[in-house]
Amino acid sequence: MPDNWTFVAAAYTIAALAFGTYWRWLNRKEREINALRGRHDTGRTTAGRDTARRDAAVRDDRSTAVRNDQDPAVRSDRTSRSRQPSMPGHPRPEPGSNPSIQQ
Amino acid sequence: MSTALGWLAAAGLAAGLGMGFGVAPREVTQGNVQRIMYLHVPAVWVAYLAFAAGLVASIVYLARRRPAADRLAHAACEVGTLFLGVNIATGAIWGKPTWGTWWTWDARLTSVAVVFVMFVAYLLLRQAIEDRERAARYAAVLGIVAALNIPLVHFSVYWWRTLHQPPSLLKPGSSTMPPVILAALLVNFAALALLGAYFIARRTRVLAAEEEALA
Repeated sequence: MPDNWTFVAAAYTIAALAFGTYWRWLNRKEREINALRGRHDTGRTTAGRDTARRDAAVRDDRSTAVRNDQDPAVRSDRTSRSRQPSMPGHPRPEPGSNPSIQQ
Repeated sequence: MSTALGWLAAAGLAAGLGMGFGVAPREVTQGNVQRIMYLHVPAVWVAYLAFAAGLVASIVYLARRRPAADRLAHAACEVGTLFLGVNIATGAIWGKPTWGTWWTWDARLTSVAVVFVMFVAYLLLRQAIEDRERAARYAAVLGIVAALNIPLVHFSVYWWRTLHQPPSLLKPGSSTMPPVILAALLVNFAALALLGAYFIARRTRVLAAEEEALA
């Protein structure tokens, strides 16, 4: 029987390709997960920083409000302030401007 | 640990190639094409071992619901499918010059193809279900059913008339192989078993990292 070396070469080449491809796929998967973890950690840090910044802003607003309450000029204007319309661009319309409520 | 396994597997593969092509002699009847056996037979043994590990891990998962058992089952079945695919491909390449055909629907080839398709379905099932716990549960059941077919593959050559030869080694009684050919086969089996263990260890680690990153 002839030696059929081409068949031997084909069999070993296919096996090498299959194992090599799987090994490379594992490497790629590991790299992707590491990158995802990195992004996740960075996201957490950024989110934490944003939250801290928002908290600080809220604290500042509250302290300003407390200071304004202590100011007599501001305190006397409280009723007029309550009739002020919503901030421009606020998504909720004024009750009087909502036709469904009027009906 | 997996790095050490990887280096051991690489050394084992080099030794296996040396044994298969340098030490083992040319077979008298088939010629050098018989050297495909050093790849074809160990590949299916490693696939059997991987599926057996998958079977045990699936049973443990169903009993205890431990995510680590599910990850091991997933990795073992995936690697087993890879080795079984290599076994089928190299078998077809070996079959052409020796049997005159790439494929025939005899009992051994058909039963091994059924097991291969079942494990491909196992991997697809895992991808198809989004809920991780449900995917693991369904896959464990399918993995057990698929692995229970392996004895059917092994004994098919005894139970039915087949073109495929009966086993030379995994059978009652002593081996009929010449010692040098047997040694080459066992070295290649050890090398592919190390490669399989390396792949399973790395895949399990990747699955754990993936779950951690997505949690």
